[in-house]
Amino acid sequence: MSEQSLSAVEAELYDRQIRLWGIESQEKLRAANVLLINCRGLGCEIAKNILLSGINSLTVLDDSLVTEEEQIKNFFLTKESIGKKLAEAILPKAQSLNPLVKITADCENPVEKNANFFEAFTIIITTGIKTDLVLKLDKICRINKVKLISGDVFGMFGFSVADFLNHEYYEDRVQMLPKKRTQDGSVKTTIQVKGQIDYPELNKVLIFPNTKQSIDAIKKSNRRNGLFFLMLTLLEFRNENGRNPQISTKTDDIEKLKIIKKSIVGLYKISTSIFEDSLFEQSFGEVVPVCAILGGVIAQEVIKAVSHKEITINNIFLLDPVTFNGKEECVGA
Amino acid sequence: MQLDRTPCVLGEEARSLVKEAKILVVGAGGIGCEVLKNLALSGFQDIEIIDLDTIDVSNLNRQFLFRKEHVGKPKAVVARETILGYNPDIKVKAYHDSITSQEYGVNFFKQFSLVLNALDNRAARNHVNRMCLAADIPLIESGTAGYSGQVELIKKGVTQCYECQPKPTQKTYPGCTIRNTPSEPVHCIVWAKHLFNQLFGEEDPDQDVSPDSEDPEAKTEDGHSMTDTGNVKRISTRQWAQEIDYNPTQLFNKFFFEDIEYLLKMENLWKSRKPPVPIKWEEATTDGEKTEVKDDDNIKNTDMKVWSINKCAQVFAKTVDVLKKELSGRNFLVWDKDDQPGMDFVTACANIRSHIFSIQMQSKFSTKSIAGSIIPAIATANAIVAGLVVLHAFRALQEQYERCSAVYLRRKSKFSKFVLAADNELQKANPVCYVCSPKPFVNVFVNTNTMTVKEFENEILKKQLNMIAPDVVLDGKFVVVISSEEGETQANDNKTLVEMSVVEGTVLKCDDFLQNYELQIAVNHYEAKEKDDPLFKVAVNPEDLKAKEDIKNGGANGKKEENHDEDSDDEPTIVENPPEDPQEGSSSKRRKLNPPEDSDDDLIVLDEIIE
Ligand SMILES: [Zn+2]
Repeated sequence: MSEQSLSAVEAELYDRQIRLWGIESQEKLRAANVLLINCRGLGCEIAKNILLSGINSLTVLDDSLVTEEEQIKNFFLTKESIGKKLAEAILPKAQSLNPLVKITADCENPVEKNANFFEAFTIIITTGIKTDLVLKLDKICRINKVKLISGDVFGMFGFSVADFLNHEYYEDRVQMLPKKRTQDGSVKTTIQVKGQIDYPELNKVLIFPNTKQSIDAIKKSNRRNGLFFLMLTLLEFRNENGRNPQISTKTDDIEKLKIIKKSIVGLYKISTSIFEDSLFEQSFGEVVPVCAILGGVIAQEVIKAVSHKEITINNIFLLDPVTFNGKEECVGA
Repeated sequence: MQLDRTPCVLGEEARSLVKEAKILVVGAGGIGCEVLKNLALSGFQDIEIIDLDTIDVSNLNRQFLFRKEHVGKPKAVVARETILGYNPDIKVKAYHDSITSQEYGVNFFKQFSLVLNALDNRAARNHVNRMCLAADIPLIESGTAGYSGQVELIKKGVTQCYECQPKPTQKTYPGCTIRNTPSEPVHCIVWAKHLFNQLFGEEDPDQDVSPDSEDPEAKTEDGHSMTDTGNVKRISTRQWAQEIDYNPTQLFNKFFFEDIEYLLKMENLWKSRKPPVPIKWEEATTDGEKTEVKDDDNIKNTDMKVWSINKCAQVFAKTVDVLKKELSGRNFLVWDKDDQPGMDFVTACANIRSHIFSIQMQSKFSTKSIAGSIIPAIATANAIVAGLVVLHAFRALQEQYERCSAVYLRRKSKFSKFVLAADNELQKANPVCYVCSPKPFVNVFVNTNTMTVKEFENEILKKQLNMIAPDVVLDGKFVVVISSEEGETQANDNKTLVEMSVVEGTVLKCDDFLQNYELQIAVNHYEAKEKDDPLFKVAVNPEDLKAKEDIKNGGANGKKEENHDEDSDDEPTIVENPPEDPQEGSSSKRRKLNPPEDSDDDLIVLDEIIE
């Protein structure tokens, strides 16, 4: 679909959101081509929200087969989907959310994709992949001016990490002008303010022990939100074990997590009290309402990144599993 | 064997509480759909849904349990079918009904472990608040508006209730501003809606559109108003319009030329204002290019562009003609933002008036937002808030109430790191709350000489105090003033309060059986003095009436703001008003973070906004 001329049908369907972000944003959305890598608990929440928002196309890249465990927490799947290729199995229900979006299923392994596969997209979203793939994608994205956001849910904890390159955005601000005329109060006008955020490359953000990345990039570690280090610990667990922590091996996995934490706090020269070990207990499984929260936050960042409307999160979002505060943390800039 | 859907991080005890819980979801709109999905996928097995609404196309961008083929069907019914598709093994019951109906009494509420509100209006929220207090069932209240939202637990004896803090009232505009001295687009839009009602709608003397010669500002030094010299027609606008058979040229010249000429004679009004410039039909229709009024599919040209004066005049004439035909054979038309001729008429008239008063003209799209009080709604905010609702539900089921402090979703700002901001502790109940305190008490200020018993019941007890079917007796005298039994006190309806011995100092005992709510009302005789004084007032402490003004101009719902920005090391705070915040004009230094409490969806009719 072209960026021009939103039809009356679209205007009616998207009315309530156009009233929030404006028609120009809607036109940019409907020109956007989005790649989603992995459509599991968190992925299906993200897919739902961006399909509803009215993008041009969504490609779902997922090489897994549907398990019973996956089926019960993924609203795009039914019992009949079990054993089938996930990317294909989600198509009917995903498409029914918004018939105007072109949806493509791709069942290949993302690691085996050629670099040029990724060039065609406006933005790439990843969930549940290892850090080396995220960093590899980031390099490809940077060359091709494709935006990237990566997110995960570990139990009650969730986060996202974005590289929106040199991102320009606009936001509306209401200004009150003092009124010269009598007692009728002041006059308000809405002005558009332009801003820019220069995102750091992700190899300056996701730094683990035993990697070749530059240690110079580690700055201000003491003042960091402790949950950033919980995020690194969980990601490193996945990098080392090829899976997330599992409740069936809870005791062993917590021991592994503690060892990883130790090496991370050593690298960053911080105290182990930066976050409580008890948070590991909260990090098992993909909790559906937490997926809903992260899916909402990540989809909103995608919408903002594509439409250049409203300030984006720079560059990490961390959901506190205890207080439910959700905060921005700027790392690597 | 069935796989366990309950989150493994919850622990055995909590997981069985989830499986045993019976949950009521009130509202299957934007937040409701998301909440229901989360419940069905999190192992809840017994869910009831109640919603009065049917599905509309403009719901489909976020109410994802519904699809195009469902438009027109009841939300509760379709929501039930869809979540049973996610998990066919659970029990889901749907009610296509209003939660304020008499059928859903305290005993109905008592059967639930937890009530989750996903409503779009304050009256229903107030009602469910009272029902949950009466049944002593924990309630999780939620709402979104644009990018913002909030989630809050309400539990009798533990937290504040939904009505503990007075809510800011809708912005009102003085009659003289609307009729004589508009200065913002909204003033002209309100005027245009009044004009619609004067010509085609239900007649309402409070919606006069002609110049107001009683405007105190217009009075000359010797105190004379212009009433005696004016040429204001004594017959009603409607009558006159019918006499001239809705001739568009004559109507146009009356409202946009003659009335404006008359306004210009009130010279005092224009001493410090730019005077309006009257415009005649002939002038408006020759001004600029001759534009065709036609429907086309390009929204940018029809709805997003500001129409020329010429086009406004053409649309005015065309819609007057259409509406006149619609009116024939009926008593009156009801204005609706989704009804095209009515919406076009209001857009045209508001813009012509704006042009006359040198106010910025608006597109049809923006006019519709203001005229229909549309609160924008997006899928992502609803998803985030609904996720928090169910996380709170896990804790509330375990009676971990102290871990359920309110959480606010905010539009991301350059000046804060917070997207989700949680209160540090629960908000405590207001000890003199007229709903949840042990002996609820409130003062009302009414004109006891003129207000009838029926008006008292409708305007004060039902609209202001949100009762459904009140019984009222004179304290200590056993005189029944109002009975909830049909017809029992009909004879009192048209009596004034004085005639029923309800005077200054009278105490009334009110009882709403459905809400299990008893309230003592102290009656204060009060007469509106200034033209724009309210007709009546309601307050626990009379002093609160003064404070109310401050709340209106300040914090969103009068709550003390947790200061979350303390730890941020970046920029200093600035005065900034986000566009979606209805509390614009706020004098507070720090940006207010609580979202407006009327939520997810649609509309408060604009009529409430006026006086
Ligand atoms: Zn209360």
